[in-house]
Amino acid sequence: MTTSEPVYDVVWPLAPSAAPSATLATRSADLNGKIVGELWDYLFKGEEIFPLIRKKLAARYPGIRFVPFEVFGSTHGRDEKELATTLPSQLRQHGCDAVISAVGA
Amino acid sequence: MLRAAAIAERAGVPSVSIVTTPFLQQAAVVCKGVGLPSLPIAEYPGVPMTDGSDAVARKIEALLPQIVAGLAGARETSRTKAAEPAPRSIVYRGTLDEIQEHFHENLWSDGLPVIPPTLERVERFLAHTRRAPDGVLGRLLPENRAATVWSIAVNGVMAGCRPEYMPVLVAIVDAIADPIFRVEDAGSTPGWEPLVIVSGPIARRLDLNHGQGVMRVGRQANTSVGRFLRLYLRNVAGLRIPPGAGDKGSIAGSFNVALAEDEDAAAALGWPTFGSDQGFARDDSVVTVQSVVSISPPIYSAGTRALEHARILAEVFGSACGYWSSIGMKYARWEPLLVLGPSIARVIAEDGWSKDDLRRYLHEHVRITARQAETYALQVGATSFTLDAHVKAGVLPAAYASSADPERPVPVFVQPEKLGILIAGDPGRNQSKGYVNNHIQGGRVSRRVET
Repeated sequence: MTTSEPVYDVVWPLAPSAAPSATLATRSADLNGKIVGELWDYLFKGEEIFPLIRKKLAARYPGIRFVPFEVFGSTHGRDEKELATTLPSQLRQHGCDAVISAVGA
Repeated sequence: MLRAAAIAERAGVPSVSIVTTPFLQQAAVVCKGVGLPSLPIAEYPGVPMTDGSDAVARKIEALLPQIVAGLAGARETSRTKAAEPAPRSIVYRGTLDEIQEHFHENLWSDGLPVIPPTLERVERFLAHTRRAPDGVLGRLLPENRAATVWSIAVNGVMAGCRPEYMPVLVAIVDAIADPIFRVEDAGSTPGWEPLVIVSGPIARRLDLNHGQGVMRVGRQANTSVGRFLRLYLRNVAGLRIPPGAGDKGSIAGSFNVALAEDEDAAAALGWPTFGSDQGFARDDSVVTVQSVVSISPPIYSAGTRALEHARILAEVFGSACGYWSSIGMKYARWEPLLVLGPSIARVIAEDGWSKDDLRRYLHEHVRITARQAETYALQVGATSFTLDAHVKAGVLPAAYASSADPERPVPVFVQPEKLGILIAGDPGRNQSKGYVNNHIQGGRVSRRVET
């Protein structure tokens, strides 16, 4: 017995990707003498984690310096456009060569 | 957090982001959405909020090599975008059952059967909007897809909406694309769910329920419009629970059916409608979207005076909001919603109270202690939150730091004017219900419906 069940041609339920084409920044060979900015979302024990990282990296790279998270304020809940405007200028102002962003949980 | 790292990268500053193991999959969705799928990540194993100081120190020591590797040395810096189907491309052909299987396998469904989105069905929806199919209302993070009119129609078909709901669906997507709504946070761990509120003449025209059983599935317009939004968040914002990624709601909740107001009851009392409260005229058709993270018990209140009802509302709604109010205080923008039963609204209004009077009463009488607020915030992960610091920073009014006594009472509702009040539910019973929103995530946004 054959069935005459209808067959449907269907379209894709997603929408076009709007993700930008971006590239990672160029890295230095090592962190000695570099300035590292701390970006914190003020969640999940960053106040405990960043000092530990500072201590460990300073022991390994004696010339390294840090711009503490308090300087940048919380990255959580900020308007993305506002952050995209203010953060790059803050990083330039403090001469940051790299940043550590935390804590994603 | 990852978006901050991406901003630094685009500014030419290398980054590494510390992400806990359970969030790696969600992080991958975010990284792809910001156009940097190889954004360096250092994996913190486990859950910091249940780790003691020794465990935190041990884990930081262990992830140090990942931090160094993320910040220094050569990295892959480019990527190629994968090709994606054009809107009108037929991506699959099959029977109803085969289509359900195909959509489940590709994570394109919400677990319920979907109506097959054929070209003909999609066209019927598009006929109800003046907008061009390729028109874009915004881009929806975390997956960062363009919210096209076409994609709204496709998901509207799938959700079981009628074609004439299309103007409402467009307004909903326009609202969630507003930066105030913060759709990028719709997959956060509290597991909040959007609530759609439809105001004005279109609610009646589309036969939305505002009476008994208003928040129950069963009425086509309320149910399918609510379902549409959850489906749209999955397919266009990329918020999927496992086996997908992007949605990290820890326990979360299912979609809310759309809510409409008993506007005749509001008019009879001389109260502004919810739509009017959002700044629209009574004859405007309006959609409002906001987050709901939890719901109060049914609040039964009795009596012939406003105060008798206000006391119970303050006690039960206030208690439902109390634990989460610390998060409202952290960001000082919080928009809980109180759905008043028509009979209760009538007693309150006939006793001479306005909606603002009720807001003021709740603001003045619903309190928790400062100690509770700070303790609750800590549990959620706001490990450095204090009321004093927030007052000093100008985020909270001075009343929140009126003394150093941890037992001092502080208002649960930071801004009484942001407390939403709407009349709906069973006119034949004395019941109200409160809806707690998730601070700035899912902020209240309204849009006029283009009819």
